Amino acid sequence: MAQEDSNVVIDHGQSRLSDLWSKEDYLAIWLGFLVVAVCLIAYLGFGPKAEFAAKIDAAKQVQAAESARAPFKTIAYYTAGDDMKKLKASGETGFGKFISHWTKSPGTWKENPFDSLVFSEEQAKAKNDKAMPAYEEAKGKAAAALAAATVAEEAAAVASFQDQALNEEAAVKIADWRAADKKAASAKSKTANKAYNRIPSLIGLCLFMVVFFGIGIKLMGRSVREFGLGFIIVFLVAVLAYMLGGQSISKQYGIGAEAWGVLLGMIIANSLGTPKWVLPACQVEFFIKTGLVLLGAEVLFSKIMSIGIPGIFVAWVVTPVVLVSTYIFGQTVLKMPSKTLNIVISADMSVCGTSAAIATAAACRAKKEELTLSIGLSLVFTAIMMIAMPAVIKAVGMPEILGGAWMGGTIDATGAVAAAGAFLGEKALYVAATIKMIQNVMIGVTAFCVALYWCMKVEQDGGQTRSVGAGEIWHRFPKFVLGFLAASILFSFLDSNLGKEMSGALIDQGAVRGGTRLLRGWFFALSFAAIGLSTNFRELAKYFKGGKPLILYVCGQSFNLVLTLTMAYIMFYLVFPEITAKI
Amino acid sequence: MPPAQMDDMEIATNKSMAQRLCNFVVALGVAVLFVYVFLPYLTRSFGVLNRMSQYLDDNGIDPSRYYYTDVEQVQEAEQYLDSVLELD
Repeated sequence: MAQEDSNVVIDHGQSRLSDLWSKEDYLAIWLGFLVVAVCLIAYLGFGPKAEFAAKIDAAKQVQAAESARAPFKTIAYYTAGDDMKKLKASGETGFGKFISHWTKSPGTWKENPFDSLVFSEEQAKAKNDKAMPAYEEAKGKAAAALAAATVAEEAAAVASFQDQALNEEAAVKIADWRAADKKAASAKSKTANKAYNRIPSLIGLCLFMVVFFGIGIKLMGRSVREFGLGFIIVFLVAVLAYMLGGQSISKQYGIGAEAWGVLLGMIIANSLGTPKWVLPACQVEFFIKTGLVLLGAEVLFSKIMSIGIPGIFVAWVVTPVVLVSTYIFGQTVLKMPSKTLNIVISADMSVCGTSAAIATAAACRAKKEELTLSIGLSLVFTAIMMIAMPAVIKAVGMPEILGGAWMGGTIDATGAVAAAGAFLGEKALYVAATIKMIQNVMIGVTAFCVALYWCMKVEQDGGQTRSVGAGEIWHRFPKFVLGFLAASILFSFLDSNLGKEMSGALIDQGAVRGGTRLLRGWFFALSFAAIGLSTNFRELAKYFKGGKPLILYVCGQSFNLVLTLTMAYIMFYLVFPEITAKI
Repeated sequence: MPPAQMDDMEIATNKSMAQRLCNFVVALGVAVLFVYVFLPYLTRSFGVLNRMSQYLDDNGIDPSRYYYTDVEQVQEAEQYLDSVLELD
């Protein structure tokens, strides 16, 4: 058993049946699955499945007929596809509207932070009016593009789609219309601002969280009253973090609610001092583990093939190689004193930043300072890479798709990948975002492998090598990882069984985006606020001694940059150039 | 992480309330100035950063989001690749 430390969760003695209702790991699973069950029942049991099925069927019939009629994707084909994309269970059910309203976090703002909490009718109208001319212009262009596409398609149809030149002309005009239509939709969204007052729903959410986590706290034999009292402060810090992180420039540099939660909490803890009555509510692991079980619902294995085999190689071959190499480098060359810090930085840097750091830290029971340090390093390098990589790629004239794959495989945070990709070009954005998504799916496997490796190899008494029995491995294994994987397997199964369109409408745009994801975001925000409130600057500085974490990150990321670029070039330009040509 | 850091936290609480408040205001002030004054200044000072800021604002891209389900553009990318590659 690892050395006892009050910062890590360690089960003592033998596994017992009562662990199921008294240990944090199991309680995180039950609470996580309670949310999952409610969302699935609401959307799959009471959602508009039959109505969606009829609409999907009708749209598919149109697409099939259009595919048989024309050698290119016609206007009707795309319109039918758009109709299917509009099917969102979260927006069409009472449950979806209810949960979306009551879990809203403070909004974005530019000059006045209170705009994130209260936005008046006048402010909304003024913002909409300001955006209206751009929308009118974009709408006019889209209508003109549609008219031109219709004329070109009809001309091709008159020739029975036998004239290659007319077919190509129609395909080009339709592509122009799609681009103009996308711009019009984006402009329209800026005219749809509504007035809001988030304060009542935030109070309601806080009370719900007290009850929700209070159940677990009670079952763990701790005082619900003490937890509830301290939780108000943790929740307030999380709300404030959402407010501060909602500012546009703050977001631009990747400093969102999570970073502000840690920073704000640490400033309070190390200046004013966190009141002792708040500490019982700083249940970092409990919030993280429950959030991770919910995150499992977003880890869908069907995503792996989104860009074909090249994506697998760039995201699923390079990533583990970099992760393992960086860990070995940290242990053998840098002699990192903390194995947990070593693996958390390695996973954070090689897999997908914050989410991978959270999952890996929980799986190997890293200390909260180690998680904070890893995420801090990731935030700094993400901001630098997000700006520098598109500039370098443009400067050297690297092809967009190669650049996109390179950035997708190396920049940590998905939002930053999208930002860097978009700055390079549309195709770079599509490739970068998809590669990152495939990498995101890897966190389940990473967490499981790290947890298993830690149980079997790292957490051995006195560091002596001896065989570890299955019972002991089970006893040591962080059980919440099983909940995380079970949620992932369940949602991947539902995703593949429902079919792409129905899954998109009921699972992705229902149970996930209209349920589990909303609470998962809050649970992680709470955990970061709690980390900050219980972290000491001097304790954190100890882990940075000698700059080894920084050296590890820089060396690992350099290796990652070289290997990802090499693999992306081989896969997208030497082995599968036909895929690159289609993109 | 409940009472683990209690001793460390007590270092802060040993100081007088005025000193603690002063430290809090200074620390928070530095953080707020860095993010809301220095970073916007940096953005305004460099053309590339300014263009990026404008682009992100116009397209609703939030670089602070860390998982793919939080980023709308990922879905757009998936739909585009699905349509051009037709891997199914």
